[in-house]
Formats: sequence, C-alpha cells, structure tokens
Amino acid sequence: MYCEIKEKERSGIINPMYNCQPAGAQFAGIGVKDCIPLVHGSQGCTMFVRLLFAQHFKENFDIASTSVHEESAVFGAVNRIEVGVDVLVQRYPHLRIIPIITTCSTETIGDDVEGTITKINLSLKAKYPGRKVFLIPVHTPSYSGSHVSGYNAAVQAFISNLAKKGEPNGKLNIFTGWVNPGDVIEIKHYLREMGVDATVFMDTENFDSPIMPDKSITTFGNTTVEDFIDSANALGSIALCRYEGGSAADFLKEKFDVPSIVGPTPIGLKNTDIFLKNISKLTGKAIPESLIRERGKAIDAMADLTHMFFADKRVAIYGNPDLAIGLAEFCLEVEMKPVLLLLGDDNPTYRKDPRIAELKEKVDFDMEVVLNADLWELERRLRDKEIELDLVMGHSKGRFVAIDYNIPMVRVGFPTFDRAGLYRHPVIGYNGAIWLAETIANTLFADMENKHNKEWILNVW
Amino acid sequence: MPTVLFDCDTAIPERKRHCYIKEMGEDTTQYLPSSDISTIPGTLSERGCAYCGAKLVIGGVLKDTIQMIHGPVGCAYDTWHTKRYPSDNGNFQLKYVWSTNLKEKDVVFGGERRLKASILEAFAEMPNIKRMIIYTTCATALIGDDPKKIAAEVQKELKDIDIFVVECPGFAGVSQSKGHHEFNISWMRDKVGTWEPKITSPYTINFIGDYNIQEDSYVCEKYFHKMGIQIIAHFTGNTTYDSLRGMHRAKLNLVNCARSAGYIANELKKSYGIPRMDIDSWGFEYCKIMLRKLGAFFSLEDKAEEVIAEEVEKWKPKYDWYKTRLPGKKVAIWTGGPRLWHWTRALEDELGMKVVAMSSKFGHQEDFEKAIARGTTGTIYIDDGNELEFFEVIEKVNPDLILTGPRVGDLVKKLHIPYVNGHAYHNGPYMGFEGAVNMARDMYNAINSPLMKLAKEDLRGG
Repeated sequence: MYCEIKEKERSGIINPMYNCQPAGAQFAGIGVKDCIPLVHGSQGCTMFVRLLFAQHFKENFDIASTSVHEESAVFGAVNRIEVGVDVLVQRYPHLRIIPIITTCSTETIGDDVEGTITKINLSLKAKYPGRKVFLIPVHTPSYSGSHVSGYNAAVQAFISNLAKKGEPNGKLNIFTGWVNPGDVIEIKHYLREMGVDATVFMDTENFDSPIMPDKSITTFGNTTVEDFIDSANALGSIALCRYEGGSAADFLKEKFDVPSIVGPTPIGLKNTDIFLKNISKLTGKAIPESLIRERGKAIDAMADLTHMFFADKRVAIYGNPDLAIGLAEFCLEVEMKPVLLLLGDDNPTYRKDPRIAELKEKVDFDMEVVLNADLWELERRLRDKEIELDLVMGHSKGRFVAIDYNIPMVRVGFPTFDRAGLYRHPVIGYNGAIWLAETIANTLFADMENKHNKEWILNVW
Repeated sequence: MPTVLFDCDTAIPERKRHCYIKEMGEDTTQYLPSSDISTIPGTLSERGCAYCGAKLVIGGVLKDTIQMIHGPVGCAYDTWHTKRYPSDNGNFQLKYVWSTNLKEKDVVFGGERRLKASILEAFAEMPNIKRMIIYTTCATALIGDDPKKIAAEVQKELKDIDIFVVECPGFAGVSQSKGHHEFNISWMRDKVGTWEPKITSPYTINFIGDYNIQEDSYVCEKYFHKMGIQIIAHFTGNTTYDSLRGMHRAKLNLVNCARSAGYIANELKKSYGIPRMDIDSWGFEYCKIMLRKLGAFFSLEDKAEEVIAEEVEKWKPKYDWYKTRLPGKKVAIWTGGPRLWHWTRALEDELGMKVVAMSSKFGHQEDFEKAIARGTTGTIYIDDGNELEFFEVIEKVNPDLILTGPRVGDLVKKLHIPYVNGHAYHNGPYMGFEGAVNMARDMYNAINSPLMKLAKEDLRGG
C-alpha cells in the first residue's frame, strides 16, 4: 500500500502527453494585449501550434513566424527576425509588444537574439519616433523541458524584461498558469467578491469570444505592457501553478521584494481554501459570506456523489503537472483512488514537489507516479492488464486509450478538442470542484447506462 | 495591371507579384503569380514545413507503419490528431505517433544512440508491427545525425523489419511542398521495386495523390473495383507500407493530387515506363471524365459507363436538389494548392457558384497555370496568402462561403462568413459522385445557416 514514484524507462516516446517549449511560450504570448508572438524557427513550429489552439478554443490566434529556410540554417537567421519585426510593426499599427520565441533550429544555429533586439530597437526608434514596441527575448529550445517550461519561461521573460520599480500600486499579481477562460473568470470572481484589486497574468478571459453584429474580433489576451511593468509594485504575487508562472513570482520577490506565494493549484476544496486564505494573507481582505456560501454549495454537491458513486473508483490522471497533481488531490477529497499519475517532461524537481510527498504519505492504496511519462505508460498497463481503471482524466490526446479500452473518460486540461466548449468551465475554485464532481458523475452514469451496469441505481439516489 | 498590391501590403511591395486578378483576354502566358518561393517573415503566412509535408500529409497515412520522428517532442505532438484519414484496420495511423524526444545533451553529443534505442523500443512494444518510417527534423538535421546508418544497423539486427528514412527538416524548402517532394523521391529511390505484389487482374493501377480524407479512397476504389481494376498501391490513402514497395508493377499511374505526388508518378514513368494519367475526382462531370479516361486506357469503356450510369442514377436526384439552390453563391477557396484547380470548374459549371477568390499555401507555377486557366475573370488568385490579405479580399469580394481550414474558419466566422473545411471536409467523403453531393450539402447548409443571419442583427438602438 504505497505510492511509488518512477520514471519512464524507455528513451523514446510513444504518444506524447506534452508538447515542446515553443508551444508553451506561444500560449503565454497570445495572452498579452496588442501582441503578436514572433516564433523564430521553421513555419511548422507556428502553424501547428496555431492549429492546436484553434482545435481547443475554436478560435484563431495571431502568431507570426520568421519562416527560417535552408540558407538561414547555414548562415544564421537573425536577419529574419529583423525583417519579421519590421513587417509586423508596419502592418499592425496597434502592436506594442512582440515576444521573439526561439525554437530548436535557431537555438542550435546559435542566433544572437538579444544582440539582434538591441540592433532592431535602434532602428525602430529611428524609423518610428513616438512609437514604442517592446521586443522580448524568449529562449525556448524545443529539446529542453516541455510546453509547461516554455510557458513558464515566456511569462518570466515578460516580467523580467518589463517589470520596473515605481510607486506601490496596492494590487495583487495573480499568475494563473495554463488555464482556461472559465478558470480566469472564476479567479476574477473571487477577487471581486473579496474586493481585491489584482492583475491577472495572463488574462485569457476573451479567448472565449463572441460573434458581434459589428464583426469586431476580440479574441485577444487582456494583459497589457503596463501590467507587466507595474508587476514590480504589487503588494504580493500568487502563482497558482508552481511550474507555470511560479518562477515569475519568484523573480519579483527576489528582484523587487514583492512577497510571493507559489501554489497550491486551487483544484478541489482544500486547495481553494488555501488560495482564498493566501489572498487574505497578502491583502488583509476577509473572505466574504458569499464565498462561504459557494464553498458550501460545492461541499453539498460533492457530498451527494462521493460515497455512493465515487468511493474507491480507480482513476488514471495525466497532463500538466500542476493540473494532474491538483486533480489527484481532488480525487482523494471525493474518495476516489488516483492509482496512476502521469506527469510530463524530465524536470527533476517534480520528484521533490511537496504535494507529491504529501500524496505519498496520504495514500492507503497502491499508486504509481510516472515521471517524464508518455501515454503509452497508460495504454501498455491496460494492454498488459497490469491495471484496472474506472475512469481516465486527462486531455484529448489520450482519447483513444479510453475509447479502445472502454473506460469512461473526463476530458480536462489542454487540449480538449474532442468535447464541446470545455474551455468555458472552470476546474479551479469551488465552481470548478462542482464542475469536476458533476462531470465525473455524469460520465460514470452514462457509462453505467451504456454498459447496462446497475444503471437502475440511478432511478433513485 | 493584373498583379495587384493590396493596401495591407504597402510595407511589403514584393507581395504584388503573388497576387493576381484575372482580366478579360488574359492568359497565363502573360501573367502568373510568383509561387513556391520564400515566405516573408512576420506576414502570418499559412504555410507549414517540409517535415509536416512528409509526415502529416503522406507517410503518416500508412496504416501499418511506425512513424518515428527523430527530433524534439513537439514535431510528433503537433502532427498527431490533426488529420481525418481513417483506415480499415482500426485507425492505427490515427492513434499512435512516436518521437525520439531529442534532448539538449543529444544536440551536443549526437542523437543517434537515442534514435536507435527508440527504434528498438518501438518494435519491442508492438511486436506485430514490422514497418517503420523515420523522419528527420530541424534539430536532428542540424546536428548531422545519420538515421540511414542507424536504420541499416537495426535492419540487420531485427531482420524481419523494414525501415524507410525521409530527410525532411522543417527548414528545407519554403513550405510543406518540399516534404512531399522528399518523400516521393526517396521512396522511389529506396523502396519501389523491393516487394512483389500479387497480380489478380490484367488491369492494374497505382492510385496516386489521394489520402483517404474522410473515406475518399473507399469511394474511388469502389469504382475501380467495379471496373475490374486492381489497385497495386494507393499513394497513400488507407495503404500498407509493402503495397507501396510494389508500385513498379502497375500498368498505369492515376494521379489525383499532382502537387503532393506527381513526382513519384514521373519517376515511375522514367524508371519503369508506367504512363501517368492526371484526373480530377471531385464533382460529377470530372468523375465521369476520370472513369471514361480510365476505361479508355484499359479498353473497359463499357464498364466505365456502367459505373457512371449506376452512380448517376443513385446520386443525381440529390445533387440536383442542391444544384438549384447554390447558383450565384460566391465562394473563396483558400487551401493548399491543387484544390483550387480541382474545384473551381466543378463549383462553377456544375453548381453555378462563383469562385471569387483563391489562395494557395504551397502551390507551384503549374498549379497556378491550371487554376487561372480554369478560373474566371475577375477572380483573385493569391500565392501564400496571409491574414491581412484575407481580410482585404473579404472586403473586396464579400464571399458567401469560404472553403478553408478550421483555424481560418474560426477567424472568418467573426465576420459572419461560414466556412466549410476545405482540407479535411465537414462531413465527407467529398470525392466521387456521392462526395459531390456531400460537398454541395455542406456548402448549402453553411451558406443558409440561420445563425449567420442572426449574427448580423444588432439589437441596440431599436
């Protein structure tokens, strides 16, 4: 009865559960207002990531490429950054910030991005007096980390390049991590209820955007250049995800003495409680009655389901580490058994994550945590009958495992392209807990009906 | 002045030679937009890379083959679950992808050891799978790994397996087109002629340049089988690795997508004297021509007419219903390249629609020659179109419908313009007689969606 932490033993990957760093940096970049990320690499690095975002959000996001071709591989490609920036600045007059995101090819060639930016800054100043466009170097070689570390690196790059000490602004910095618009709305709701003035990095609420009578397109991030600059003057930072934005909060603490709290990811009741207490701790604002009522509703909803339907259900969870760990903690809250946890990439610090240590202490059943995992770790265990599962929780890339092995699956995380509109729903906060519990329940119910497995239980409960 | 500079392109005047509006009396000997040349950085081009041209478009369709992508994980991740090409063996090709997951230390010390370990693991984990394609990517090409050497080593060790290597780093060429080319030429050089197919009919073809998008291949193969024709290899819809090794035994190469697969047909002609017959497979009339050409080649004219009669009888009433409801509707085709010329006449002549703008991501000169020759005057033809140009085209031509990919579709819906998936279809197949009906249905439904009419209404101010 214990929790074993191991690493994938194979060198290669069969069915990846994580993407590469530039994909993560691009996701951070589209969360910024008046911003078009410029990816320095081959065109596929941009085109497919744009498609991936479109698959998930059913929206278009503008991301540019330096279109590195063969001759650049030989002679260096910095000239393509220069042209790329110039073309973007001229053709998009509203543009105020361009993160320049490197890839495996341009990191291997060894292009001097910082030097090029210095050079471009001079020419921009001469060519467009009165207009300031910020160029942010983001180093994300695809052969290190994953989209998780790429996202983290990009958020940190925005902050470390722009944050500037000024007057205290009395605001709270919230680093959301890789979340959905539904989560951002939930976070903002808490801040509003508590009367806290805060800046959300990255404010992706409008990734769920309308079709308007005037045909306006508003599918953009809302986090501004000023927000980054002013982040140094906040009264504190909270990073909801240790591995996605955590180091930006750490940076502000070290460089500008902005108090910071990193984690826990507010998935489930206890983690949300801690999040609210942390807001309270940093701002001095009390947790209002309204949120106590919301919390109570969540407990009420979960209590209706746990012992009767959830208890002892064996769950496999995969995805971004902060999300996957948070979901595992949630499972324990509702009496489910997260027997297999697949965490992405080869980041050695996952092993030392205090939440993993706590899981290790808490679980009274056999549990495996596989680091640097791929989705074959899940499928092979099922194929070889090493594991029995009642539920799979993860993003859509694992859909065929659930389909072929006939296991009910709750889509959660990124991307969730094979279910409609999931980006609209929070998984964090009390409302996220309700959504998770009820989605799990309804998924299990549908499975009982499809398999004629005691579906008559649902006549009365 | 038939080539045009869009307002959005004043900063990049070189775009003028890529944008053309056909005028009365002009032909392609006078004006032809430039194509298949380097993309201007920062333009928000729609182009992909050579690697995706090789893996996602052609090699990844094979239904019995391990797709080993030698590079960082993203190349594998991003070219998985982005296509709709099923197979008749449980969709192995849609379910799995393999990456060597190249890491920093491999970039420094070389990735060959990792590649070899990944190959051996892959075969060991799925012992029934005996075929593999290895793709190089930007990173592994730059560090100079030699995957062919590794493949040869493994083939010696494991014996009953076969491995094909494509050198297709993303930066090669100017678009995915380079990857198509690499795959074609390398396959021809390394694999064609290494396997002998069982011949069951005097009439044998390779069906080239069709990828079973939403079961297109099944539709076409049904026609060919009814005519008594054996398909030696299908390049590459619903196909097996070994069948493609036997391409040299066909008597005819029937080429649908000339852009992605015309090369191998040409090579087969050079090396084995197999004639090439180019066809269109979308639209009733083109399908009739396809079957008649095929019938004429094998002296199976009667069989061809039988298939045509049967299919027309079955699908014409449905097609006619849409034919009376689509005339005059303005459509833009923004796809890869060949579908511009495959579709423009079919939509205009058969359905009475008006193709008002066409943009190709990776088409070459010959694609534009065909598209412009078949297209009408006043139509805008763009090579490597970018987002601001698209906005401007929409302003100019105000299309009722755009045939394009889902991401651009997500963009234009904000402008109250419906799209139909021009790459992977909404609800296909779109090839063949039944496909023409499906395509007409999807276009009709999109154009007549009540939602887009409601979207225009502004409740504010009375």
